[in-house]
Amino acid sequence: MRRRRKGSVVTEILTWVVVVIAILWVLFPFYWTVITSFKKPADVFRLSSIPWLQFTPTLSNWQTEFTQRGPEILRGITNSIIIAVFASLIAVALGTLAGYGLARYKYVKWRNQSMAFWFLSQRFLPPAATVIPFFLLMKSLGLLDTRVALILVNTTFAMPFAVLIMKDMFRELPVELEEAALVDGCSRWEAFLRIALPLAAPALVATVIICFSFAWNEFLFALVLTYKKATPMTIIIAGTEHTQGVQFWYVSTRLLLAILPPTLLALTVQRYIVRGLTMGAVKG
Amino acid sequence: MRRRLREKGNAFVIPAIFWVLTFTIFPLVYSFRVSLSKVLYGKLVGFAGASNYLRMFGDYRFWGTLRFTLVLVLISVCATTAIGLGLAIVFNRKMKGLRAFRSILTMPLFTAPVALGYLGVMMFYEENGPINVLLKYLGMGKVPWLSHPLWATLAICLVDIWQWTPFAFIILLAGLQSISDEIYEAAVIDTSSGWAVFRHITLPLLSPVLGTVIMLRMVDAFKAFDIPFSLTSGGPGTATRTLTFYIYTQGLRNFDLGYASAMAYFLLAITMIIGLLFFRRYRELYE
Repeated sequence: MRRRRKGSVVTEILTWVVVVIAILWVLFPFYWTVITSFKKPADVFRLSSIPWLQFTPTLSNWQTEFTQRGPEILRGITNSIIIAVFASLIAVALGTLAGYGLARYKYVKWRNQSMAFWFLSQRFLPPAATVIPFFLLMKSLGLLDTRVALILVNTTFAMPFAVLIMKDMFRELPVELEEAALVDGCSRWEAFLRIALPLAAPALVATVIICFSFAWNEFLFALVLTYKKATPMTIIIAGTEHTQGVQFWYVSTRLLLAILPPTLLALTVQRYIVRGLTMGAVKG
Repeated sequence: MRRRLREKGNAFVIPAIFWVLTFTIFPLVYSFRVSLSKVLYGKLVGFAGASNYLRMFGDYRFWGTLRFTLVLVLISVCATTAIGLGLAIVFNRKMKGLRAFRSILTMPLFTAPVALGYLGVMMFYEENGPINVLLKYLGMGKVPWLSHPLWATLAICLVDIWQWTPFAFIILLAGLQSISDEIYEAAVIDTSSGWAVFRHITLPLLSPVLGTVIMLRMVDAFKAFDIPFSLTSGGPGTATRTLTFYIYTQGLRNFDLGYASAMAYFLLAITMIIGLLFFRRYRELYE
């Protein structure tokens, strides 16, 4: 930047010092979880942080986890995947339609802006406000402890987000291509499916990934609506600590299984992250 | 084109609107009814008027959770915004390799908060946990992170800050990058002080984005539940229970549904006030 000209070497060194500290601050907890999962119980409480030098890594925690608690973990992962995949796909499918409508049509009865506002206002709705009626609703529908209940919830949370992101994306596409298609005799629907949708594909994938991550990480509703059959990974890790005390070596294996999928997926959607987090209030 | 098409667009927006209406407005209306009712064993048994709402004023545990929630909001919002702004300024320099590091810094945002709480239990473990060992090297005694109310509060704030600083950072960085270089070049001619440029050029231009960050962070901090639940279980005692935590305990553990719904509406009122402020300022962004 412009201010770099003066004393640039010192500034550059200081910059890198800050960067390194920030990176260490972010990565250390992940690093600690990974090495703890490869430690023998005795090494966990004798503080040691460098594998091979200070302790001998072992696969035994992972083996024990998958042999003794394999079915439970597998069920948790399966539930998490099914819930997050369906929730993100439904949310993005309906959200893309609505986003396209808001970007390309002018609505008279409910104005476009009011609708966008209304979707955005969902971002301000605390989950605690809907968790009790949702519990009662699911109870009366007989949907407690089913994946359907959590798919419904997570779709609802992800939908406004998908609508607003896709609205922005479609608005940035040139209208002329679709107009040309209309002139050539395409219907509105065909213009949407054949022209606009393929052009928006990268944004579409990114939105699915972000919705998937949020659904995967959701905890409060999972805690309230499921107890055995439909429990996702967030509940599986919550169960371990209380029943088994401080067995960090097992806790860490489960933490990694719960943390890694969304965290790694999110690294692929950096371009859309700012819009994603602010629902389009800030363009990144 | 948008202006020309006044008809037939309804099919596009109706499914999403219908879905969100069904699963948010209907539950909210129902929950309002519950908040005005007397509830016994999970069943509504009569009209209670405002008594569930009035009960909040006399409930010291409610005030305790409200106080803790406000402390968390205050510390977390200030710290994440300040650190995020600092990092954003550093990363706004045009230097090679910074982009890759930027991606790494966003990782905490996508880590399940409940998992982070348990991760915190490992990090803050009082006997030989990594943080206490580090502090011992720095000459401090054993810190009772999870067994003393004040330290537990700090521990929760630290985990929350760890998770949400990237949020402020990445959004403020986008804000900084949207300020054009010419403005700076003009400013540098007038003044040589970096601070003056920051104070009189950067900060005013950044203030809309800064406002967005602060308001969204406030809403999210008011909603906090996962981290206190997993890191301290609301303890020691009830020192670190947030509003959502108390609503959960009253409503879904003690099945005091009416009172819990009333408190939920109180929380909703807070976040809606923040929402209204937000909409007032950013109306033009959503035309």
